[in-house]
Amino acid sequence: MFKLNLKIALRNLWKNKGFSLINIGGLAIGLASCMILLLYIAYEWSYDKQYTNADKTYVVYQNAPANGKIFSWAWTPNIMANEIAVKIPGVKYASHASYTSSKLISVGNNKISSRLNFADPNFIKIFDYKFIKGNPDQVLKDVNTIILTKSLSEKLFGNEDPINKTIKLENQEVLKVEAVIEDVPVNSSITFECLAPWSLFIKREPWAREPNWGNNMCLTVVQLKDNKFLAEANADMKGIYKRNQQGNTAEALLFPLTKWHLYDDFQNGKSVGGKIEQLKIFLLLAFCILLIACVNFMNLSTARSERRSKEVGIRKAIGSSRKSLIGQFLLESVFITLISTIIAFILVEVSLPYFNNLLNIGLQIDYKSISFWGTLLMLMIFTGFMAGSYPALYLSSFEPIKVLKGLKIKSDASVSIRKVLVVVQFVFAACLIVCTSVIYQQLRYVKNKPIGYNKSNLVQIAVQGKMGNNSKLDLLKTQMINSGAVTGVTFFSKDITESGNNTTDVHWQGKPAGESILFNNRGIGSDFIKTIGTELVAGRELSTITKKDSNSIMLNEAAVKMMNLKNPIGAKIGYWGVEKTNIGVVKDFVVESAYQKVAPMIFYPSYMDDVQVIIARLNPNQNISSSLETIDNLVRQIEPDYPVNRKFVDEAFEGKFQNEKLLGTLSNWFGGFAIFISCLGLLGLALFMAEQRKKEISIRKVLGASTANILTLLNKDFIKLVAIANVIAFPLAYIIINRWLSAFEYRISISALPFIIAISLSVLIAILTVSIQSVKVAKANPVDALKYE
Amino acid sequence: MIELKNIEKYYATKGVKHYVLRHVSTSIKQGEFVSIMGPSGAGKSTLLNILGMLEEPTYGSYEFMGEDVTTLNERKRIELYRNHIGFVFQAYHLIDEMTVYENIEAPLLYKKIGGSERKSRIADLLDRFNIVAKKDLFPNQLSGGQQQLVGIARALAAQPSIILADEPTGNLQSAQAEEIMNLFQKLNKEEGITIIQVTHSEKNAQYGNRILHIADGVIKEDLVV
Ligand SMILES: Nc1ncnc2c1ncn2[C@@H]1O[C@H](COP(=O)(O)OP(=O)(O)O)[C@@H](O)[C@H]1O
Ligand SMILES: [Mg+2]
Repeated sequence: MFKLNLKIALRNLWKNKGFSLINIGGLAIGLASCMILLLYIAYEWSYDKQYTNADKTYVVYQNAPANGKIFSWAWTPNIMANEIAVKIPGVKYASHASYTSSKLISVGNNKISSRLNFADPNFIKIFDYKFIKGNPDQVLKDVNTIILTKSLSEKLFGNEDPINKTIKLENQEVLKVEAVIEDVPVNSSITFECLAPWSLFIKREPWAREPNWGNNMCLTVVQLKDNKFLAEANADMKGIYKRNQQGNTAEALLFPLTKWHLYDDFQNGKSVGGKIEQLKIFLLLAFCILLIACVNFMNLSTARSERRSKEVGIRKAIGSSRKSLIGQFLLESVFITLISTIIAFILVEVSLPYFNNLLNIGLQIDYKSISFWGTLLMLMIFTGFMAGSYPALYLSSFEPIKVLKGLKIKSDASVSIRKVLVVVQFVFAACLIVCTSVIYQQLRYVKNKPIGYNKSNLVQIAVQGKMGNNSKLDLLKTQMINSGAVTGVTFFSKDITESGNNTTDVHWQGKPAGESILFNNRGIGSDFIKTIGTELVAGRELSTITKKDSNSIMLNEAAVKMMNLKNPIGAKIGYWGVEKTNIGVVKDFVVESAYQKVAPMIFYPSYMDDVQVIIARLNPNQNISSSLETIDNLVRQIEPDYPVNRKFVDEAFEGKFQNEKLLGTLSNWFGGFAIFISCLGLLGLALFMAEQRKKEISIRKVLGASTANILTLLNKDFIKLVAIANVIAFPLAYIIINRWLSAFEYRISISALPFIIAISLSVLIAILTVSIQSVKVAKANPVDALKYE
Repeated sequence: MIELKNIEKYYATKGVKHYVLRHVSTSIKQGEFVSIMGPSGAGKSTLLNILGMLEEPTYGSYEFMGEDVTTLNERKRIELYRNHIGFVFQAYHLIDEMTVYENIEAPLLYKKIGGSERKSRIADLLDRFNIVAKKDLFPNQLSGGQQQLVGIARALAAQPSIILADEPTGNLQSAQAEEIMNLFQKLNKEEGITIIQVTHSEKNAQYGNRILHIADGVIKEDLVV
């Protein structure tokens, strides 16, 4: 029977090519969308879980109360790890590492800017990287050594064995290669291309040698012997700052490594979510799209039920039980699911590179993974049964005798269920349209919100190697301005689009006692205000030409407000133990999140010792590409050993919207697919309805109805359904999107526009879909239909 | 073989009982060839369907080969049905998506008959009805008479002990009808298959050996031919 039923299923597919195409196409697109989303979710979900003892590994967070809030981050003092290893119960390993940064690594003339991290030997006990060459017990001990990842080793040494060969770091230290490890998985929070000993870090940065509980400068990771020690350890961690440094108000906590990536949003010292929220949305989206595709299938199958009722009747009359009929219809739907899955595979493989490019990640199907095939099988069975169950139950329930007697099957129930299904589909579709529009509105709003400086035509060049020297920087500045390529050049102690570098070591008259307030601190060069295009609200600008401002600072507006200074100019501010004078107030500008209020900032004159970037404003009267070439050449003349690391500030600034852009893009694409699949379903239904009403339409035409009349008639029902769907969708969408928006300090208020877009778009799409099909019927010669009755 | 006692059947439409069969009692023995006659709407088909277990009577008892059909559960009833009853319809009711061969094969598959046995039985039937050349055609490629032959072949495939035929020749020309009737007679005489047919034609009724006349759901006459 199985073979015969399969044959029949194939014949049915072939005979009704239109239906089959819609069915399989819809299901394939649905499955493909679902697969891509699930791949993405799995990718994000598996972050940091690759290590053997990942579940026992914790990242040390500090909760620092400041400005009436609690700031939480995974930056800790250099001696935290030792203290933990000795004093905290249940700890197996404690290790500290720097955060990864780009450094120049060279072998002979082969110079590569690589991502380097520094760590102590415990680091590779906590994270069991796969060693290809070298002894894990011996590495990270001697100062002048380094571990390379496989791909960096290949870039530097080709196929040669790198062990015991040497590389040069930043053209300064000569390091011996001790080991080669597999590349760090891309979905890790801690990534690097090479790993060097902590002792080397100290050698390069002597200030980092002194134990200092007040300077949070590295990452501390801890592995517990067993998770049962967690509560005890955490209780002990809490007071670790206070115990070691008087007056330190920070508290430490152990945060699970496996949650680091997805739950990194802290409020009041507790994780309240993070990227996980987005993943949940995507999971819901994946499920809904699949559901919509299944609904399509159900719709079309039941719509065709009248045609199949005869078969059901006969089968029952020649001895089929209901069970075997249900089996037959389920077989058909599983079979169609199988075909769709194969097509979905092709779609996924074809579109993955595109999505990877779009999302800037490396998703791929792991054909060797059991869990992949397991999930796929589950997905197929779920889809097959989900899509096939209702048609199977419905069709198999026909009483043979009624069918064979030629009585009309009462199709009221099935019609209304079909209507419900169409409504369900369009509720999803309308919800998605509303949400996507709001996401875009919000994104546009924050993007267009003034950020306090003019980020267009502004380039930023990283200071590397020999450039980081007072006279060289001055020379570069002069040369750049003289070349005419730029109209202004200044220096900054941090990438202007990045957060970081802050201190609570700021004191002023009237500061509430015992309160800790966090200030961003940045060193600036001369011409800062003019170059970045911000404004000086009061006072004058810091100059670094001479040392006369070495005891002066500037504040931003937020800092003035925070300090509650009546006369900010001339105010005495204690900063890192030295009394400074404020000489200017700078307008607030965004360096951190564009969604949040600008935090207080202190500017100090940087005498080039801690300059990280050169910021230059391009000359608007020059051709941009030739200006850039000029700049690159000048930089290369001063530091020929490094590739020029230059970027546009506005492009870098875009990085702040990465998450929202991702959400917007994905919901746009997959929302589009959901709508498309719904339309396929509608098309199928219209196809069927128009055929069923052929005779009625013909009679109406004979009676004098115009094509337009007929179209209105056919469209009316569908429009009603779509309208109902919108009415249901609106409050739903409002709740969802309102929740999403509430996470932003700066947000748009929800307007009527997204809802208007949703209803007009969905109605328009519905009319188009239905009309494409019904125009044919409406225009057909009525005699043709009536003749054959 | 068949024992009907006081069978009643009504359809309730909007709460009004509409009787189709009243107090029908009769018995049919193995090997009989019975023709049911009567005006349109008399309840002939309903009676045949009840005999064929496609419908349940509202009241009354129905014994088929010693088993009380009305109290059997569905699984047992289908079992009984698969093994003993072959149906032939006025409108042939072949499955459009199946070839001639597959149509005849279908009941054997439901009966879970083995592959080789199936093949030989179907080959036998195709041969006997002279439709070997048509075995790969679909029903819509056949004439009405040919379709009905396939219908009968399908009914016979499961080697039933009784064939129920509802106006099997109703849609056929007289020459084809005669062929079918001869076939029924032969099956009845040579293989001892019990046949119950509904017919409007006196001539067709003459092929059998008993005629039940029904009017308004009541058996009016029970004649031996
Ligand atoms: N499923 C049904 N629901 C309601 N009435 C029915 C049904 N089946 C048959 N009838 C009615 O029962 C009566 C007998 O039908 P039937 O047995 O087919 O008559 P015959 O075959 O003698 O022409 C007819 O009036 C018919 O309308
Ligand atoms: Mg009848």
